[in-house]
Amino acid sequence: MARDLTTSISPPRATSARGGERAAGSRRVRRPHWRGGRARGWLYVFPALAVYLGFAIWPALNTLRLSFLNWDGILPATSAGLDNYIKIFRDSALYEAILHSLVLIVFFSFIPICVGLFMTALLMGKVRRGMTFFRIVFFLPQVLPLVAVGITWRWLYSDTGVVNQLLDLVGLGGITRAWLGDYQLALVALGFIGTWAMSGLCMMLFLAGAQKIDPSLYEAATLDGANSWRQFLHVTLPGVRKEITIAGVITTIAALASFDLVFTTTNGGPAGQTNVPALLVYRLAFNEGDIGGASALAVVLTVLVIAVVSAIRYFTRDES
Amino acid sequence: MHMTTPGRWQALVALGTAATLTLTACAGTGGTTAPATAKKVDVSTTVPSDPVTLTLAYSNDPPTKTLVDAFTKLHPNVTIKPQMTPFNDYVKSIKLSMSSDSAPDIAQYNPGAMNSLVPAGLILDLGPWSKAYGWDGKFPPASLEVLSSDKAAKRFGTGGLYAAPGALSVVGVYYNKEILSKAGVKDVPKTLGEFEAALAKVKGAGQTPLSLGALQVGGFHLWNALLNVTGDVKAYRSWVYGEPGGTIENPGAQKATKMLMDWADKGYFPESANATADADALANFSKGKSAFLVTGNWAATTLETEMKENVGFFLMPSESTTPLNVASGASVAYAISAKSKYPNVAAAFLDFLSSPEAAKIEFDGGFMPVDTKAELGATGLRGDIAKAFTPVAQNNGIVPFPDYASPGMIDKLTPGVQGLISKKMTADDFLRSLQESWDGHHGS
Repeated sequence: MARDLTTSISPPRATSARGGERAAGSRRVRRPHWRGGRARGWLYVFPALAVYLGFAIWPALNTLRLSFLNWDGILPATSAGLDNYIKIFRDSALYEAILHSLVLIVFFSFIPICVGLFMTALLMGKVRRGMTFFRIVFFLPQVLPLVAVGITWRWLYSDTGVVNQLLDLVGLGGITRAWLGDYQLALVALGFIGTWAMSGLCMMLFLAGAQKIDPSLYEAATLDGANSWRQFLHVTLPGVRKEITIAGVITTIAALASFDLVFTTTNGGPAGQTNVPALLVYRLAFNEGDIGGASALAVVLTVLVIAVVSAIRYFTRDES
Repeated sequence: MHMTTPGRWQALVALGTAATLTLTACAGTGGTTAPATAKKVDVSTTVPSDPVTLTLAYSNDPPTKTLVDAFTKLHPNVTIKPQMTPFNDYVKSIKLSMSSDSAPDIAQYNPGAMNSLVPAGLILDLGPWSKAYGWDGKFPPASLEVLSSDKAAKRFGTGGLYAAPGALSVVGVYYNKEILSKAGVKDVPKTLGEFEAALAKVKGAGQTPLSLGALQVGGFHLWNALLNVTGDVKAYRSWVYGEPGGTIENPGAQKATKMLMDWADKGYFPESANATADADALANFSKGKSAFLVTGNWAATTLETEMKENVGFFLMPSESTTPLNVASGASVAYAISAKSKYPNVAAAFLDFLSSPEAAKIEFDGGFMPVDTKAELGATGLRGDIAKAFTPVAQNNGIVPFPDYASPGMIDKLTPGVQGLISKKMTADDFLRSLQESWDGHHGS
């Protein structure tokens, strides 16, 4: 890492670009200069690194440590060994919660990626005016705090809310219900809020990726007689492959670690049908004062996230 | 080009390292601090005349701020600095701030969030002041019982007193007068049977009988209100207090649970109850979308403003015509930090809470006063509440909410009632899940 950083900001490139007359001098001071660059590189990295170590790595390590302790947050902690983990794995609530979050991946990740690709195919290269408008509209859910999104959707989904009003309007009055309170459908209803929030992000990523594609590829495809669908399949899709991986990773993490949305809409209800692991972590830590158990569950959740994300990266890796 | 000389960047690195170390040191502490040893305090009931400044951390406003103002008016040399934190953040942060070196002298007490402060010795046992001031006669005994616990803070109703109540709340039934008279319900229900008949009549008239916020606490508050009148008070108390052998798997709780399920079956509350927040249930009731709402007197101020003369209040009626005068309630209570330099002044504030002046403030703040004999002269909705509450307080019939029974209980109660409403849980399963949480905390 250090080498990468040093080379990317070290001066040789800039010096050579400035012309040949300094080349000799540059070579003469090269070694000391390289050393200074290395130190300076560290200096540039340091503020971000310190924040990252202090606020991300250190708390993470602390969580790992706490997961082996019995601690209520105040009294001296006692060693718990693997007890916290054993307790968690014996609780069926964990498996249900994990299952729910896996279902959420479909709604937070799979569907938004499809929607994002669809929107990209529609907008790419065809829409000239109003592009900013589309971007803003679809990206808006990303800007709003999820707590506000959650409360808004709770009202939209309520028995007299907009969703049911629309269903009534199109003659589907028979299926209206308080969606988030429905035992079978609450999780799906919750998932669609995620779809709404994540689709714009995916679309933005894909649009950015698609703009890098050389227009001559599209020209060549047109000359070969490829229609829009073929162009999308053979030019656009391979072109945004990396962006799809990134979108998949980001949205999957959002699904597995989802908390704020669930907390503000259903709080795990009805009857635990929308419990997710992060919600259980919160309850253990803040309702029950079991910091050790909460940390152990958080560690398990982290391992799960890493495993799923690694799987995504493995399956979408570039064969070449 | 040379922006930073080596000397300067080394200094910067050193500074940054120092910052990181400080940060990590902060993150690493906690849990290693030894429990504070109880220091000797000379208990006195007189407030010194020297200038004294106390800090008070709280989340309920009103009545806290007005009570503080009234107290400092009586004792001009005392300054109390209020530190208000919204409830959700308060319960998360109060434990840490009470264990810090700059702990507030007085803190609003929340048993769930703060009971680990008792074994840590961070809040004072108020026993000596209670004796010196005679609090047993000044506060309703049941309201002090809930604030007492053993040293491990597992069993309530015994051991030391860790807080004194400043205002009381009580759960009962609000009703919409207009809807009831339209549905042909002439009198306020006197028995549980009459209440059920009224629900049926309202339903028959094509109206929604009850608003219910089962997404949050409204669902189990209704269950709790039913349990208060179908179950045995002693058995319930011993269960919530964590007395050995306490159990909720009893016939009274069975009856309350089955009644709730029956009401769900008959459509006495909307199908959307499980997705309705407490605030939304309150709003629905106040807009005239239902005839009844079961909640606490904390909703009175809102309902009075919205519904004017059209709203009334009664306690969940007993099965027989003789009223049981039992109702669930909590209190806005205050504890004293063991780190306070002026525990005697803080205790004088707690004593002030039981005074007639304080009673007026507590009542105006939408609560029931600690001084149950205070003349309130209230009319309308608040008059109804005062009329219903006084016999309960004098009967020593205020019982704590069921979520006091164990720290994880609320996460069994809310989903459990949702399960009952959506018919995915049987009464036995529900009570079993509550008892499992109890057993996990108290030992079976």
